[in-house]
Amino acid sequence: MSDNELVTRTEQPGELIHQLPVTTPAVDIFENEAEILLHADMPGVGKNDISISIDNGKMILAGTRRLQAIGSTAWQELGDVEFRRTFAVPQSIDVDKVHAELKDGVLHLHLPKSEAAKPRQIEIVAG
Amino acid sequence: MITRVQDMQQLLGAMDLFRNQMNSVFNAFDRNHGIGQGWTSTPSYPRTNLDDTGDNLVLVAEVPGVCKEDLQVKIQGNYLQIGGTRKPDNPEGYKVHRTERESASFSRSFTLPYEVDAAKVEATLKDGLLKMTLPKSESAKPRQIVIR
Repeated sequence: MSDNELVTRTEQPGELIHQLPVTTPAVDIFENEAEILLHADMPGVGKNDISISIDNGKMILAGTRRLQAIGSTAWQELGDVEFRRTFAVPQSIDVDKVHAELKDGVLHLHLPKSEAAKPRQIEIVAG
Repeated sequence: MITRVQDMQQLLGAMDLFRNQMNSVFNAFDRNHGIGQGWTSTPSYPRTNLDDTGDNLVLVAEVPGVCKEDLQVKIQGNYLQIGGTRKPDNPEGYKVHRTERESASFSRSFTLPYEVDAAKVEATLKDGLLKMTLPKSESAKPRQIVIR
């Protein structure tokens, strides 16, 4: 009975498990008075395949690379991959002004500080 | 028997999931494990793929942050060398919190499975991937032999 069950078992769509390997992109993080600047290596990721979401002090940076298979493979060291990394961002970041550019496979992400968080020179008025 | 194969695939899929989970554990501990996939060893830089499309060999190399002026490619027969410099892109006047992206010069050479025609090689650089189409030289192409 049980053997029979094994042979006749049909595949459920939900059982197909395939996930891209996830890897962390290498990043550099810089800061000056106006902004925090992040450089991330994401080779082979187009700008439409990058998503950046900031929610509740947590920023998730994700990008997917899909290489086109051409011909027969002689050797393969890089493949389809998802770059993903989570960062804690301070509340002083002005989320609306966050912008990014992509150049030569490197993402440059600018996180401007809100006005309230910038250092301010206080002038002392003689009384 | 087909069911068995599918069971194997499911098992492998589950192992993929497990690997991703373990990688995210490493991430959670803020351990940068390099550009490799998790706990595998870091291969030589730059990482490349080589494909054979019949008439051409196609080489793809991963060179993020390197502009085309800083890349050199040398080809002689079936010997190919990729060299270049990844210049530091630290902006002026910024305090540095973290540097994981190394800037260094690199060089890697390959012995291709066929001789290629160096004059007809096309190379493009897009999104940090260098793609080279290397036409096989005439002597390396398959040839029809007429039997008399």
